[in-house]
Amino acid sequence: MAETTTRTQNATDPRQPTGWARLPIIPGPWETLLAVWRRLRKMSTALVLLFSLAIASIVATFIPQAPLVPDTVANWRAGTAGPGAPIARMFDAAGLFDVFGSWWFTTLTVLLVVSLTGCLIPRYRAFWRNVRRPPAAGRNLERLSNHTVLRTTLDPTAALAVVDGLLARRRFRRRAIDVTTTRSGREQIAAERGHWREGGNLLFHTAFYVLLIGVAVAQAFGFAGQINVVEGGTFTDTRIVYGNVRAGRYFGIDDHRGFQVRLDDFDASYHANGTPDDFVSTVSIIEDGDVVRSGVRVRPNHPLRHDGMKLYQLRFGMAPHVIVKAGDTVLFDDRVMLGNSGGVWTGTAKVKTSSPDQIALDLALLPDFAVDDRGRPFSRSEQPDAPVLFADLWVGELGLERAVDASRFIREGEPVAGTTLVPGGTSDPLLANLTVEFADLPLWSGFQVSHAPGRWTMLAGSVLLLVGLISSLYGYRRRVWVEAHRTDDGMTTVVVAGVALQRKVVFADAFAALVAAVRTALPTEAGAAAQETTMTDAHHG
Amino acid sequence: MRTMADLSNTLFFVALGAYIAAMVAAFFAMAFTRVAVDGRMAPTVTGRRMGVTVTVLAATGLAAHVGSVVARGVAADRVPWANMYEYSSVMALVAVAGGLLVVQWRMGFGHLMGFVLAAAVLMMSAGAMLFVPAGPTVPALESYWLKIHVTAMVSASAIFILAAVATVLYLARDAGERRLADRSGQRYTAGTVGAASIDVTEREHAPAAVSSPLELRRVLSPVWFVVAPAAFFFVWGLMKYDVVRGTSMAPVGALLGVAAWYALPYLPPAAQLDNLAYRITAFALPIFTFAIVCGAIWAEEAWGRYWGWDPKETGSFFTWVLYAAYLHARATYGWRGRRAAWVGLSAFVALMVTYFAVNLVVVGLHSYAT
Repeated sequence: MAETTTRTQNATDPRQPTGWARLPIIPGPWETLLAVWRRLRKMSTALVLLFSLAIASIVATFIPQAPLVPDTVANWRAGTAGPGAPIARMFDAAGLFDVFGSWWFTTLTVLLVVSLTGCLIPRYRAFWRNVRRPPAAGRNLERLSNHTVLRTTLDPTAALAVVDGLLARRRFRRRAIDVTTTRSGREQIAAERGHWREGGNLLFHTAFYVLLIGVAVAQAFGFAGQINVVEGGTFTDTRIVYGNVRAGRYFGIDDHRGFQVRLDDFDASYHANGTPDDFVSTVSIIEDGDVVRSGVRVRPNHPLRHDGMKLYQLRFGMAPHVIVKAGDTVLFDDRVMLGNSGGVWTGTAKVKTSSPDQIALDLALLPDFAVDDRGRPFSRSEQPDAPVLFADLWVGELGLERAVDASRFIREGEPVAGTTLVPGGTSDPLLANLTVEFADLPLWSGFQVSHAPGRWTMLAGSVLLLVGLISSLYGYRRRVWVEAHRTDDGMTTVVVAGVALQRKVVFADAFAALVAAVRTALPTEAGAAAQETTMTDAHHG
Repeated sequence: MRTMADLSNTLFFVALGAYIAAMVAAFFAMAFTRVAVDGRMAPTVTGRRMGVTVTVLAATGLAAHVGSVVARGVAADRVPWANMYEYSSVMALVAVAGGLLVVQWRMGFGHLMGFVLAAAVLMMSAGAMLFVPAGPTVPALESYWLKIHVTAMVSASAIFILAAVATVLYLARDAGERRLADRSGQRYTAGTVGAASIDVTEREHAPAAVSSPLELRRVLSPVWFVVAPAAFFFVWGLMKYDVVRGTSMAPVGALLGVAAWYALPYLPPAAQLDNLAYRITAFALPIFTFAIVCGAIWAEEAWGRYWGWDPKETGSFFTWVLYAAYLHARATYGWRGRRAAWVGLSAFVALMVTYFAVNLVVVGLHSYAT
């Protein structure tokens, strides 16, 4: 109470002489907050925020985004691509390499949500009020832009009952107005329709909250990781096997299902012109040592669903089976997954990681070997029709014991020896008694494994959004009143009138159709044409 | 299937030729139209014949175009809108069909056909430059979602073209009407300026200007109508291709600009154009929204995430936000009218940038253009 009193005193201080210029009031934190809130509730603010969102997304379209293309971003930062390192540093400071993860994008989103909420709350209130309020009585119907006067032999009550039926069929909400309350003292029906416009509008905007919840759930409880596996190989669904992991805060290591996936076969087929036709991984699922599903085909657009996880066909490659022997001792026997770099499949095999004399192989594979006019080897197609493997042998202190990517071992000078192999081939002894064998050429397949909760929430949000959008664009509020009274000649005069708040041109047509129906339904004196006067403004065009 | 592919290509150029001829005829039809002071228009005998010629030529082109698309589908044995050439072609097809059936026939704005056809011709020419022989697509596109997502997207884009045509012409006509009203010292009513409250009855649509619409050409200098589109087309060509193509596209822009200036008196009043643009956009936006939602579902199916801010996804989000802003702007006092129209136009530019630039310039998951 005390506070209220003080505030009142401040507003009209009796001690202050009137007519004095008041000093500008310095807004306190509460006033500032209130001003910001008022500003946020304005439609023009929402528009500015929407534009800012649009501009942010242009930026994200044309500046490479670190979460999508990390290599390009690294090049921009190093200055080897893009506008140069100093500008890249400025971009970094402004978070332009990760727009959708930047603090200002989050701020923008939060402001939009606050603005949306500020706009919605009063509109919900008004909508609730309007929907519950029965249709209001009409006055001076003859002055409305859409009105028609008809004459019928029915008595007023019966005539209104007929029209009431017609309005009911048109799904109007109707109310019979008490004769004593109408100014004209005539019987009246007030009808109303089209709350779906505002309802749809609110639904559309509310759908954004549903979408936001979906995004939040996916962020918090989702998981995505990638894994490559060679034909015949198996992986277990555990955190450590995956690369490029994106895990939500609440998707813990224990949440992995622990089932095993075995790649039984991978098949890439091509059209006659060399373009890819289909990539199919055939996998089996093993739980607790038992094969629970087998022969499952995973293809692009056809992921495998198992136990809440989804397995997508992502990429594939060549994995030559390489055996390295020193005399009869097998030093290395594995299938090496190669990556495609411009038509050549390359990779590294760590043969012997213990010092001294570490051994590594640089591998390059041409799947469809041929030699061009100038004597240089190339691959005719992507299909392994005539695979040839080139192996360079490195021996010495290669740094293979370090925890870095195998391909980055230390290469000083020239490789010790090189050899060219076809499947089934074994090299001559390269260094002392070392031989390299290219046993055969299986393929490897790369999968994305993900758990994406909140998908149904997103879908529901999208459907609400669409339904809301359509009904807010096409719905329109309109009111129709029908009044009837007995005239001196014993006939009944019926006045039909209506207004629309939106889409007035469409309403004019609908009103004309309603009048036509009323005219047909109301009996007139036999032989006499229905006398009427019509005034429909929107019919000039 | 070779013959089917050839047939498709031949019909494509037949359609293109018919559209160009129809477009020229449409501008001739304007020349043979008398305009009264109150804005009423009456074609001369030649004008009426020209009008029929436009319809016949456009319909013939449309038939050939449908044949081209169907033959392409048979040749490739899939839905014929899976690369940029095909997509551009179908977009032009839907735009012409919409122009003919809705804008001309249903709404009766026949004088807009020349511009609708011009937009279709531009779209087809851009598509022809990205021609690829009919063939199967990459495995990533082999899904029934291709039918749903891309069909919805191509329809929405085509309908947005119609809206953009109406918006550009609105901006031109509105500038003229304002200038006329200023000259004659009238205060304009809510009808002309800001034309465009969402619902105005026909009476409010009537132009406030009392001068003859032919005066519109006098009060607006043709210079800007040449310079601005020429510059726009130059920059567009420069960004998309190179200086040579940019320079060769500039005259096309200039020609279209002159055509718009010439057409000023024959266009419907600004308020009607604005209302037309709004109604078309309001029709296309739910389809566009549906297309984006389908795209998200497909992305979930194909790539394991429904939204990853891939350049195409970002671009379509951006376009959607701008169209949403257009609808809001039209409902906001102080924004409706010209400001809202500029928002709508920028949304259309965003749509085109998302379509062309993101496919051709930026590398992303949707870069299946060629």
